[in-house]
Amino acid sequence: MSPTTFLEQSLANGIHRIGQIEVRATGSGFQLFHADDLALVDQPDHGLTVHHDPEVARDISTYSEDGTYRFTKGQTNLKRGWIMILDSIDDTRRALDHFYPAALGLVAAQRDGTLQIETLREKLNRQTGMYRFARNISDAGAQQLVQEVCGPAHQCAKWILWKLDAETPLDDSEASRFRGIPGNLPESEAIPLVCREACNHFVAECRKVSKAEHAAANPGG
Amino acid sequence: MPITPKPHSALLIVGHGSTENPDSSTPYFDHADEIRRRGLFKEVHCCFWKEEPSMREAWYLTDCTDIYVVPDFISEGYFTQDVIPRELELTGPTTTVRGKTFHYCLPVGVHPSMTGLILRRAKEVAPDIDPANTTLIITGHGTGLNQNSTKAIRDQVDLIIASDAGYAHVTDAYMEEQPFIAKWDELATTPNVVVVPFFISDGLHSYQDIPVMLGIEPEVGPAASQREVFRHNPYHLREKTLYYSSAIGTERHLADVILDQIADFDKELKVRS
Repeated sequence: MSPTTFLEQSLANGIHRIGQIEVRATGSGFQLFHADDLALVDQPDHGLTVHHDPEVARDISTYSEDGTYRFTKGQTNLKRGWIMILDSIDDTRRALDHFYPAALGLVAAQRDGTLQIETLREKLNRQTGMYRFARNISDAGAQQLVQEVCGPAHQCAKWILWKLDAETPLDDSEASRFRGIPGNLPESEAIPLVCREACNHFVAECRKVSKAEHAAANPGG
Repeated sequence: MPITPKPHSALLIVGHGSTENPDSSTPYFDHADEIRRRGLFKEVHCCFWKEEPSMREAWYLTDCTDIYVVPDFISEGYFTQDVIPRELELTGPTTTVRGKTFHYCLPVGVHPSMTGLILRRAKEVAPDIDPANTTLIITGHGTGLNQNSTKAIRDQVDLIIASDAGYAHVTDAYMEEQPFIAKWDELATTPNVVVVPFFISDGLHSYQDIPVMLGIEPEVGPAASQREVFRHNPYHLREKTLYYSSAIGTERHLADVILDQIADFDKELKVRS
């Protein structure tokens, strides 16, 4: 199913949330806004900045409120204080692809059974340059890292689909149990954010752990 | 070269991206937006090596079954010849991957039309100086690992020397191989020097590292988008007058070069078939 059709059908079936964004069909178009601004939106002087260009979604989602670069868009630190009023489902999908890159297509493929999931080892073994060393991380180190980096406790709203390798699932934890829907909404009301491959932030952290493990095993250098 | 509209195809612009610098991917989105506005493709998307969406996620971005892939890279090398084909599962100029057909074009940086962009950028940054008293330095990363990475720049140097641009001296220079950009004043034979970074974005290398090598910044500063003023040209140092432009890839007309590469691909395809 195409990402746009998937979005259209989801909205028709009562879905109104993806990540931290509330999506509303208004009859004449669509509204997107931060879910925490839900109480403000219908007030006449809501004070939210109004945008009509879906490309603005990239600017809104680049930095968090405190100015931190949101290099992983699944982070739960999306800025508040804006509303996008969009004319078409295509524009809405474009904006959502900026907020949550490829998220609609990935979930559509997951539902169709066509999503190819990549294990952590596959991801690490493809790294180049300074990140090549990341592949040396131990299984125990990687399991620990998932619990220290991933999941809503660490500001990531994605549902981890990958395993360490084909035979090794993630240890049970809050991070591995999380199903990609922040805000305690039921699955019937939200599109989950899925993580089909470890992100580059996780790869960078694997490199750090791998180097620390190497140093610990070789104290003389 | 005009491009035939492709209302049933998608364009996929591939970039490097960064987990550190938010400005790194800005030009790719700008180029995508510019091409999208022209209505030539059904969909226009970007994907990256170091940002989301990843190249491996690109297959899921579109339901178009005909996809043109243009590497928004400045040279042919490790990324365009190894990483991108591997990540997108491409085995040749045209590859069908799980029901979607990908056409793999050459990177923007090797297209001859880049020459015009460099000259335009050099003129913009130093509009009032006489090229006859000016050295034009085109600078890139350079790496001992792949000779192709500097070929695109050396080709541009040759094209500009052969053109009627009139610069007294034109040369290449690199961050990590000779001739080194840090020695720009020794490379220049004239009082005026214009340095154009042959990078796609004003990211870590062109905006933060090279200014330190040139001597116009004492240390690596914040990202371009975090500053109020981009540059204070010209700089009077090392007994010369130096103009440093923004990266060539931030030029709006790079969108045309992307389309040029697609037109060239189609032309080659016709020849092949």
